[in-house]
Amino acid sequence: MARMETEERGASFDERVARNQRRVFQIAYGVLGNPADAEEVAQDAFLQAYRRFPSLREAESFRAWVNRIAFRLALNRRRGQRRQLARETNWRATERIETIDGATHAETSLLVDRLRNEIEGLPKKLRLVLQLSIVEEMDAADVSAVLGIPAGTVRSRLHTARKLLLEAMQ
Amino acid sequence: MNNDCTQWKDALPEAALGDRPTADLERHLAQCSACAANLATLRARRERLDALLPLAVRGPGPSAGFHGRIMNAAELAGRRSRTAWPVWGLAAAAVLLIVLGGGPVLRWFSTRTSPDAELATATRLANWRAPSDALLNTPGRDIFSVTPRLGESYPQFQTDKEKQK
Repeated sequence: MARMETEERGASFDERVARNQRRVFQIAYGVLGNPADAEEVAQDAFLQAYRRFPSLREAESFRAWVNRIAFRLALNRRRGQRRQLARETNWRATERIETIDGATHAETSLLVDRLRNEIEGLPKKLRLVLQLSIVEEMDAADVSAVLGIPAGTVRSRLHTARKLLLEAMQ
Repeated sequence: MNNDCTQWKDALPEAALGDRPTADLERHLAQCSACAANLATLRARRERLDALLPLAVRGPGPSAGFHGRIMNAAELAGRRSRTAWPVWGLAAAAVLLIVLGGGPVLRWFSTRTSPDAELATATRLANWRAPSDALLNTPGRDIFSVTPRLGESYPQFQTDKEKQK
């Protein structure tokens, strides 16, 4: 009986991981800027969700909870990294960057690097909203749930952040 | 850009970011080719920004074995919690047994004796006699029943019996 319950739990959890893993990874990556760290944080978030799975059966509550916990874990790790002064190199982790509008790979990489620096230079409250809003499948309501601020504030901060980046990326 | 254009300086980025231009701005853009060109440049830059932002923020995505690693870690965590429960349960049961049942069990063990041993103990008790005063009467015993006066010490001190001698 207990074994069946465990198997059923495992199957449901498997399905939840499949549905949420990409977004959770991106939330962590947005904050950390490093794929390896983002994977570790996402894995920790899912493990914590697994332990609390009986109270997170509903797909929506699971989604909201795992978003929030991944974001918090990523912020905690980022604070630790800052202390180690390791952040600077993380953004430049090797990764595949697709070209845009026929621009060369090198040119796009340079632009992305420059944009990342500009994002880093944004005020924290704008940067976090921007990083979460760009994540796939995250609307203003999701971002507001993660940050604990009204959806209207999310929209206005996102607008301000984009405006500042537009002016900076001349 | 002339003096009239400066008043539209802030409105142009807003328009480029998707806000619908006000009627006044539209009228100005229809007449001012510099501001219209400026808006077109800002819109092109915004498009590029929108294309670059996901690359800068989303990253490359999780690696191929990511899902499997999570499931393995979850299974391991689940197994640990399942094996931990019996161990902790047994330990708790042992402590409870000692606390609650230890007294009666020990008493039972201590009272569990054979009839022969009981008879031998009873005989020993019946034949037991208290040690006589003679056994307790040791040399120098008197010296401890009196207290020397100030200035005297035990080696120089004489008991009443010694004084009588």
